[in-house]
Order: sequence, then C-alpha cells, then structure tokens
Amino acid sequence: MAFSGYLDGKRRDCAELVAELRKRFPYVSILGTDVRAAAYRADRMSSAAQDASGECGFVVKMHDGRSFFEYSLDDISGDKKELADRIASAVETDPRLKGRMISAEVLKDEPMKEDFVRETDFDRFDDAQLLGICRELSAELCAADGKVRNAMCAIQPYVVSKLFVSENRELSQFYGWANGFLIVFYQDGKMVAARHVEGSDSLEKIISSLRGSTEKVVDLARHLVTAKPIEPGVYDIITDSSITGLIAHEAFGHGVEMDQFVKDRALGKNCMGQYVASPITNMHDGAAATHSVASYFFDDDGVLAHDTQIIKDGILVAGLSDRDSAAQLGTDPTGNGRRDSYRRKAYSRMTNTFFCPGTDKLEDMIASVKHGYMLFETNNGMEDPKNWQIQCTAEYGIEIVDGKLTDNYVSPVVMSGYVPDLLKSISMISDRFEVIGSGMCGKGYKEWVRVSDGGPNLKARVKLG
Amino acid sequence: MNDIIKLLKAASSVDAWRITEKATESYELFFVHRDLETVRATDTAETHVTVYSDHDGRRGDSTFDVYRSMSEADIAAKIENAAARAKLVDNEPYELPGAETLCESLPTNMADADPKKLAADIADAVYAADDQPGGSINALEIFLYRDTVRVMNSNGVDKTQVTHRVMIEAIPTFTDENESVELYEDHRFTTFDPAKVTAEIAEKMREVRDRHEAKKPKTPMKINVVLRPKEIQTLLGDLARDLNYSIAYSHANLHEIGDDLQKDCRGDRITLTMRGVVEGSERSAFFDEDGLKLTDTCIIKDGKAATRYGGSRFGQYLGIEKPSGNLRCCEVAPGTLSESELKSAPYLECASMSGLQVDLYNDYVGGEIRLAYYYDGEKTVPVTGITMSGRLSAVLAGLRLSDKTEVSGPHLGPVKLLMPDMDIL
Repeated sequence: MAFSGYLDGKRRDCAELVAELRKRFPYVSILGTDVRAAAYRADRMSSAAQDASGECGFVVKMHDGRSFFEYSLDDISGDKKELADRIASAVETDPRLKGRMISAEVLKDEPMKEDFVRETDFDRFDDAQLLGICRELSAELCAADGKVRNAMCAIQPYVVSKLFVSENRELSQFYGWANGFLIVFYQDGKMVAARHVEGSDSLEKIISSLRGSTEKVVDLARHLVTAKPIEPGVYDIITDSSITGLIAHEAFGHGVEMDQFVKDRALGKNCMGQYVASPITNMHDGAAATHSVASYFFDDDGVLAHDTQIIKDGILVAGLSDRDSAAQLGTDPTGNGRRDSYRRKAYSRMTNTFFCPGTDKLEDMIASVKHGYMLFETNNGMEDPKNWQIQCTAEYGIEIVDGKLTDNYVSPVVMSGYVPDLLKSISMISDRFEVIGSGMCGKGYKEWVRVSDGGPNLKARVKLG
Repeated sequence: MNDIIKLLKAASSVDAWRITEKATESYELFFVHRDLETVRATDTAETHVTVYSDHDGRRGDSTFDVYRSMSEADIAAKIENAAARAKLVDNEPYELPGAETLCESLPTNMADADPKKLAADIADAVYAADDQPGGSINALEIFLYRDTVRVMNSNGVDKTQVTHRVMIEAIPTFTDENESVELYEDHRFTTFDPAKVTAEIAEKMREVRDRHEAKKPKTPMKINVVLRPKEIQTLLGDLARDLNYSIAYSHANLHEIGDDLQKDCRGDRITLTMRGVVEGSERSAFFDEDGLKLTDTCIIKDGKAATRYGGSRFGQYLGIEKPSGNLRCCEVAPGTLSESELKSAPYLECASMSGLQVDLYNDYVGGEIRLAYYYDGEKTVPVTGITMSGRLSAVLAGLRLSDKTEVSGPHLGPVKLLMPDMDIL
C-alpha cells in the first residue's frame, strides 16, 4: 500500500487552483483527502466484508485579509479560472454581513515540501483471511459458554492519504490504523454485552490480541451478569487506563481546545499558569506525543504534528490550537486542526491525550482504598469546558474493600462532578502506561474524529451514580 | 449513475445491485460572538454501491464507495473486487425491494430561498434574542443543507427525495463580574419561522441566566424528575431500538413481542409509533436506504411490545411479510399529566443535562444535570451541580406523560415525562 495515486496525480491541479485563487485571496491552501476503509465482521448469524466509511475530495481554504472562507468539493479537474469563479461566488455573503467579518491576520505560509509515509502490514492480509479470522473468533466465543446468545468479531483497517498544497507548501502523508472488536451478548437471567477493543497499525498485533482475549471477554460477561447498580455516593476510585484517558479527554482536553478560547467558551483561558490539578499531575496531547490512532504527520491545516504538554506538575501551561484560532489569538498553532472529513470545517481538536505515568504501584494504590471502586472501560463522556462540569461513564466497576478487589461488580458507573475538584483529588499515579487508540470524539454533538487517550492508573475521589 | 449501472449490468459475477447516492449542497456561517469568522460552502456527493452474489443457497453482499473522481476503469475494478468479497459472505438469502419509483421533496418553505440571504435571516433571528443585560451568544454556527437522496436497485427501484434542512448550534452565555456560564443549543428545522427561532433562543437565554443564579440543592434527596423532549427521545428511543428487526435477528434484543415494558404500571401507558414523516423533522423520509417505502408502525401499544420495525433484509429473516422500512421518526401518544397535576407535588425539571444515560441491560437511567428547576410545592428555583439515577424498570412502571405534545427533532410527543422517586446526589 502506498500514498494515493489519485491525489498524487492532483498535485499540479492543486497548485494551479491555488495560483488562480491567489489572484483574489492573500492566502489559499487546498487539502486533498483519500481515506480508504474496510470492515470485516462475523457473528453467529451473518458476516460482512466491505468498504467502510471513507472519503475522497478536496477542501479549499482562503483568507481575504480579514476572515476565513472554505469550499468543499469532490474533484478539482477542469478549467481553474472557472472553478475559482465558482468557489469565490459560493462563499460570498449577504450584504448585511459584510460589515460584521472578523479581522484576523493573514495565515503564514512557510515554505516546506515533504512526503511522509508510515508503513503498515495491511498488505499481508487479504479479504478471505480477515473474514476467516472474524468467523473463527465469533464461533469460538459462541461455543465458549451456552449462555452466549451471540458473539461478534470485527476488524476494521483504514489507510489515510492526505495532500496539502499552498503557494509555498506541498506536504503529503500516508499512514494506516486498524481496530479490532470482540463483543459477547450473554444472558444468565439478565442480558449483558461484554467488549474487548484493540487498536494498532499492525493487523498482526490486533489479530494476536483478539485471539488472546476470547476467554477474558467471556469471563467478563459472566461477571457483568452479576453486576448491581452502584449506591450513589462519593467514593475513592482507582481508574484503569481507559478511564484515566476519559478523564484526561473530558476533564481537560476539551477545555484547552483554543477555538473555545476565541469564543470565550473555556474557563481554561483564564487559568493559564495556575494550579488546576494535583501537583503530581502531568498531561500531554499531540499527534507526535505518542504512537496511536491520531498520530498523523501534519494536521488538516498543514501544520506539523506537535507534542504539547498541557499540564505540568499540576499547572495549566498550554492549549491546543488550529491555525484559525491561533491567528485570532496571536499564538503559534499546535498541529491540532482536524476535520471530520473534507466536507467539514477544521476545529481545534484533541489527538492522543494522556496523563503521564507516576511512581506508585497499582497494588499499593488498591491497598490504600478502604472502600471504593476500580473503574474499567470507557462507555462515553461529555465535556462542559465553560463551567468545568464533567460526566464520564464507565462500563463497569469492581468494589474495593479493605484494600482488596472483591468479586462485586457494578454497572454502569456514571462519574460526575467539578473538574478541578476531581483533578485536585488525584493522590496516587501508577507507573503503568497505556494509550487506547479506538475512540471517536465529537465536538458538541458533531464533527467526529478518531482519538486516543489513556495514561496510568489514577487514585482520585469522585461522585459516582 | 448511468455509467455505474452499465458496468454493473456487464459484470457477470453480480447477481443483483443497489446504488445509493446522496448529493449535498450546503452554505454555512460560523460566528464568534457577533462577528462572522468563517463562510463555507460545499458541493459534494456520496455514492455507495452494493453488489449481491448468490452462491450455495446463500446470499453475499459487499458495498463500496464511488467517488466523482473515479474513472470507468476504477469503478469496474471496484465492482470486481466487491463481487469477490460478496462471494466470501454467506448470509441467509433475501430479496431486494421490488420495482417502485418516486421523486418527491419533503415539505419546506426554504426550497426557493437564496441560501446567502436565508442564512443572514437566520442569524438575525438568533441574535434578535440576544437583548438581555449580561447575556450574549458567544458562538453561532448555521448550516443550510439541500440533500438529494436517490436509491436504485436491480429490481427496478428508482426513488429520489429532496430534503431542505437547517441546523443551528448556538452558545447562549451569561456573564457578570464574577462568573460566566453557558448552555448548548442545537436547533434543527425544515421550515423557517423567524419568530420561532427567536423564541427558542430567547428561552435558552433565560435559562442560561438561571444557570448563573442556580445553586446546588441539599443532597441526597429522592424526588420526581421531569424530562423535556430531548431526553424523552433518548429514553424512548432506546426502548424503540430494542424492537428493531436487526437487533432481534442478532439476539441482542431484551424484549419479545407481547412483553409488558411497564410491569406493575401505575402511571401512563406508552404508545409509540415509528413514523416515516414527522412534519418539521429533518429525519423525515419517504423511503429507507434500500428504497423500501416507509410504513408507519405502532411498536409499543399501551406499554406492551406490539411489533417490530426495520429494514427489508432483517424483516424477511424474521418472516415479516411487509417490513416497515427503517423508520427514523416517532410519535408518542400524549399522557394524562396536566400542568396543574404536575404542580401538586415537588419535582425537579431538567432543562440541561450532559446526556441522559439509559442502559436497558443494566436497568439504569441517570446522568449529570447542568440546570434544573426545583419546585418545592410553592416556588421554583434553578439548581445545578447534581446527578440523578434510578432503575429504568421503576421509571417505566411509574412514569407520567404530559397531555401536551410537540415536535422536537425526530420526535412528536409529550413535552414532559415525569420519572418518580429518582435519587439525586
């Protein structure tokens, strides 16, 4: 597999269209995307092998010396003057709005020409192999226990080609990622769904992990049918890496997306340089911060990937920005401009977001809890960066009594509260570290992008319900 | 599309096919406070082709994307690859919907509007509500869409529907010298009524001022909790989804037909009809992704699972003679709860939540409340900083539905749903 031949053939078209539009706009860039995805799935009753949600098209970004304009289209072939006329006409505004445009500096267009490639092993597996593995693992799960009503195995690889062209810049990137899923529907009195999720740019690793996890996911299902609702209250908790990541993502990730600073929508804007978390807390985000699902080489604004430290020793030190927000704030962009697809606007978005490991041992952390819960597996979360409320839902928790994990499962577990209270309550951080690359993140209730999050185990005190 | 059909007909390994195309034109405005930051327009299309292969008494299928930029040779190669994939897939056989044609637009008053003028009119309608001291709209995004969806198949289905829809995302904010708070407003419509938009935003402006005044009440407490339409949709939508053919076929369903979803009911019985078209809803449609005509279907009658709904394939698997199609809107019959009865006891009315969490399997309903109104039997005060939770089965047994209904999103139904004795922390 290699960079899209289609996009490769469009470099000249992009340059010509940029040149034509530059006659009218001080800044013009084009992002071309060609994302190819596949999905293989099998359960007890059915199977599938097909393309999954991909995209192929272009978005043209322009700056007229004051404001931003964009036009998304499927192809840029043909007469460039005619196309430029169509684009310029399409982004005109009603006369009533002309006096209400913002005034932001023209984007810098620093020279660079580079092609980035990260190889995958996806070529080593064909359709028949991948579907065969899904069938094999689904059948194994279904046969594991008579109480398994159905079991699904899915493998979803995708490869990303992106081309960024401006007057002074021509960048291309090619990389891939894949996710694997096991889901068991299990009924023993009550019905439950137990899941195992994997993410990697190596199908070999994913397949190996899925094969090694069948017993674990059925065992989890057996425990989940015994799960009771949690008694609402404030508890000491220990998080697994998934829940640590969810806290990082919801508690602070969204709160430092700097397009929210521009709109005065994030309390974080006023807290730079202040303690916002326990002094033992450090947090990063960045496509270059670790290797996971959001590890691209340049963002959808053509800005190279960064590793941004957001919290240093409990102090908020930096935010995450796309180019438009950085231009309005007078800061340097951090490589966090991301789009749902070429059809959508770029916003400041998280990439790989995580807390850094500490020095505590997990067993010591559990031993330190008189009565509380260890929380596992992200279900969903919701941010509120202006008011710093947080809601995170874990798939399940295991009760800790007198420093020991019991066999008492609770599910689901909704964790909520005031972000600084939660972060300042972090009292122990383990020396383990895992980033889970299988998440999707929306902004509000739209603009979905792939993200990872994670970190070590945390000990904190929160409200559970 | 004709080129694709020609290639599909020429492919000997293809036993049947379906093409779904969605062409979208949009015009979008992005405001920061009252200033316009970004103007966007789009002209894009998504085309998905599914090929079917019958082998060994089974049917396989595989879907691929076609992009406008693809050559005939590219598409021919994709068809060949998809046909090979379809041969690997061996599902129970099923028929594609039979020959039917349709070309219709969903009701709207925006079809002939100039999008640039219409977007500015919408902005004016939103900002007209921004007239209170301390209030502001810190961000506003306006999306105008014209979607043209066409479905064709090898059995002669050829259907087209056009939808004009608008989505507004506004951030009402209240600020004083000490604090600034906000709410999130997501408003969607297919018919533009400036006064209605202004009223909707004005209501949120009042609520955000109330959020600023709101205090955390004394907790824990047990109290009746009232949900508004957005959360009612979440609660009842999850119940409805359990009755989809595909969920039943994959044995992931919790309920069987005839099951009483409201055991030991002492409140209002739910009657829920899945519908193709709910006037004003952007999710309204005449047909589903297979081109199957949508037939309104009552799936919950007086609190009992009455029938299932869903697409052609899974309907056939379950032996349904006339599958309803994948209906996306719903109507819930009004209940008996009047405003005066509601006021007869204390309650907490949720105006803004992080997101209602509903877990059918674990019998759970709950979530974090950003703004609620606490009625103590005499007066009403805004409250915040609380979380509610309860057992879903207990909620279903005791719920009350208001006697007034309205359209909200894909849902026509009661404006209020009362959940008895929820735990508040």
